[in-house]
Amino acid sequence: MSGQAAIRIEQLGKRFGAGPLVLDDVNLSIESGEFVCLLGASGCGKSTLLNLIAGLDRPTTGAIDVPAEGAAVMFQESALMPWLTARQNVELALRLRGVARTARRAEALELLDTVNLADAAEKRPHELSGGMRQRVALARALAQDRPVLLMDEPFAALDAITRDLLHEELERVWRRTGRTIVFVTHNVREAARLGQRVVLLSSRPGRVAGEWRIAETSGRRIESPEVAALSIEITEQLRKEIRRNAA
Amino acid sequence: MPHDDIAGRGTQDPTAGRVATKERTETPAADPASSGLDTLAGARYSTNEADDLRSLEAGLDRLQTDDARGTNAWRTFTTSVLPPIIFVVVLIAAWQVYVWIVQPRPDIVPSPISVVTAISDAWQSDRLQTAVLTSLERGVFGFLIAVVVGTPLGLLLAEVKPLRRAIGPIISGLQVLPSVAWVPAAILWFGLTDATVYFVVLMGATPSIINGLISGVEQVPPQLRRVGTVLGAGPARLATLVVLPAALPGYVAGLKQGWAFSWRSLMAAEIIATGGTIGFGLGSMLDQSRELADLAGVLATILVILAIGILIELVFFAPLERRMLRRRGLLQGGTK
Ligand SMILES: Nc1ncnc2c1ncn2[C@@H]1O[C@H](COP(=O)(O)OP(=O)(O)O)[C@@H](O)[C@H]1O
Ligand SMILES: [Mg+2]
Repeated sequence: MSGQAAIRIEQLGKRFGAGPLVLDDVNLSIESGEFVCLLGASGCGKSTLLNLIAGLDRPTTGAIDVPAEGAAVMFQESALMPWLTARQNVELALRLRGVARTARRAEALELLDTVNLADAAEKRPHELSGGMRQRVALARALAQDRPVLLMDEPFAALDAITRDLLHEELERVWRRTGRTIVFVTHNVREAARLGQRVVLLSSRPGRVAGEWRIAETSGRRIESPEVAALSIEITEQLRKEIRRNAA
Repeated sequence: MPHDDIAGRGTQDPTAGRVATKERTETPAADPASSGLDTLAGARYSTNEADDLRSLEAGLDRLQTDDARGTNAWRTFTTSVLPPIIFVVVLIAAWQVYVWIVQPRPDIVPSPISVVTAISDAWQSDRLQTAVLTSLERGVFGFLIAVVVGTPLGLLLAEVKPLRRAIGPIISGLQVLPSVAWVPAAILWFGLTDATVYFVVLMGATPSIINGLISGVEQVPPQLRRVGTVLGAGPARLATLVVLPAALPGYVAGLKQGWAFSWRSLMAAEIIATGGTIGFGLGSMLDQSRELADLAGVLATILVILAIGILIELVFFAPLERRMLRRRGLLQGGTK
């Protein structure tokens, strides 16, 4: 594949205080515009790795290169400000980005329209469903206008029907905006459905335990046979990694 | 309408899938990573499937959210206004019936009618108006001073951890101390002046306001701070745009309690400290009726003090709190 690396992670290690090594010798290079899924069992260090990329935490050893503009982050919980409407939540991101007051409203509405939520602009978070909240959070992350979008299990708390739709939504947004996306999940099918590349992390310590590239990504659905086939392959590897801890 | 969307998708789906598969086999070189073809794919994607996705999402959104139910004024009236009114009316009726039947000594158990008479007498002699205005002015002014003092102190303690560890327990302790206890000291310091009254009110209300703000800030969900940081807020804008608005429910609860303590402390101070340059407030009126052994007057004044406390709560704090909680979806009881 062509294109320059947007994120380069070299010999990254992380431990919290005197605790065990959470991440050990992680090497990863992510191209600009690439959609990478980071997959691993719970507690393997996915969130830790994402926080390191986001600059919310510092690595113990090794180095991370990210674009100077930084990264936008989306979490499992939408974390919208409950006292603001959907539009005002997006406007807050624009304001903190330094967008002029007069331009904020129109831009916020446009971003909400990107995630098909123009009609819900004046609703407050508690009036929205879980899926709608995550879409507002996505619009807010897009409002930051950073080249990299980091997502930490953003759809894990949603029901399957909603999640399925948000997969399509996210894929569409990715194609339209050309963002580099790092998507963390513990759901093998979700990773196989979404990623151009799936990176499997082992547990204790977290290392890159496998990588799959998907050549053809358009037209995939969660129920597509190629997604199922890849899921089986990845699950095999994941189970092998988990079994190693039994000994 | 939403059902139509889902059904529509179900029938169109297989065809759409087949078309997509066909396209894929015909153009195997369509590498999404190369930007030119990427936008091409994006354009094709956004015309056909985006509309499909849009209507699908709109349907699901409709299914998953309740329509906002308007608040029913009559229902509010019958469930929350009527019951206490009925209770009070029954209570007064029982009292009057007791007086009629048992005929107790009127200087020990005055009838409701004589209490009402006492109130109207006080009104006609202008004593009631003077007392209410004096007390209300002091209560409100003292409370505002407490807000001005307590708010910055509360913010400081909430944000500076070592300070909170040192001073926090003492502030909580002060909340337990009845503010009447400050009256003798205040008289010795300030004499029988308004300063004594204001000092006691301040000592009564400030700890509640500080504590309310601290607990409000403590209850700010950590992920909101984290999001603020991720969005690029520095410490100052994090405080003003995220932490303070998020802490508002705790702060308002503290203000509400602060007002209650202001009013109580004020009455205590007015009952104990009379004379000097201290004007004639409701507490003074209460004390005066006691000296005259006028039980009807005492009860009348108690009722007025109670009514004012409830009135301020009802017309000021309750709507403020309700509006804030409703906007955040924190109000229990189904009203959206
Ligand atoms: N702030 C922290 N302090 C100490 N240990 C942590 C901290 N954050 C995460 N860990 C530990 O690091 C490991 C990986 O956690 P995490 O990255 O959240 O996993 P995942 O997101 O893959 O479920 C876990 O064992 C967790 O206990
Ligand atoms: Mg995690």
